[in-house]
Amino acid sequence: MLVIGLNYGGRSMEKKFKRSFAEIRNIVSMTADFFAQESLDSSLRNTVDLATEELFVNMVTYNTETETDILIEMQRANGGIEVSLTDYGVDRFDPTKVTSPDMGVPLNEREPGGMGLYLVLKMVDSIHYEYRDRTSKITFRQGAA
Amino acid sequence: MFEIDFGEDGVIVVVGRLDAAEADRAQAFLDEAPGACVLDLEKLEYISSAGLGVLLKTHKRLGATGSGLKMIKVSSHINDIFKYSGFDRLFEIETADG
Repeated sequence: MLVIGLNYGGRSMEKKFKRSFAEIRNIVSMTADFFAQESLDSSLRNTVDLATEELFVNMVTYNTETETDILIEMQRANGGIEVSLTDYGVDRFDPTKVTSPDMGVPLNEREPGGMGLYLVLKMVDSIHYEYRDRTSKITFRQGAA
Repeated sequence: MFEIDFGEDGVIVVVGRLDAAEADRAQAFLDEAPGACVLDLEKLEYISSAGLGVLLKTHKRLGATGSGLKMIKVSSHINDIFKYSGFDRLFEIETADG
């Protein structure tokens, strides 16, 4: 994990993470630090943790053509939180356009996988995707007025 | 922090955060679990889709032998994830508040 910027004056925090699931604990630590710094509503934590993990894991799993770190930014947003994940040197992949798992298929007949982004889209208040110069940036908000 | 181990009466106690970093360890443990499994989730703080995948794979393995997974002492926010994913219709679930 590389800390590239902290603004302890408040309102924002950003860090870069290696493309490894082992970084998840460091991402959780970053989120905990930001919630404490901004005195954010702890009831938002589970959804923020889940959405951040699922989006990070998706980038690590499917963007295998690069070894560039993934940037995570957090900032306060109207009483809630806005989280952005930026991935560099990647093909376009808009997770907001992913089709939901076929809920008509009985769960015990489904294969594991495909559930993460579905949960993100179902649980976060809003989500936005940008793609420019082979850079993907996905931003979600939770708890913002 | 994540821990999984047998507790009293053969119940499997799951503690902490079951995320993508811990899914392989959880899967390895559950792959060795014989027969029907009862999972005590009272101290499970967090589960992501990777953790759900572990539960689904285990349930399917056990289902092939006519048994399955049962979750007990499930907290409300973990139960919310089960509901969002449709897992509440697959597993036998007892919530912490009954």
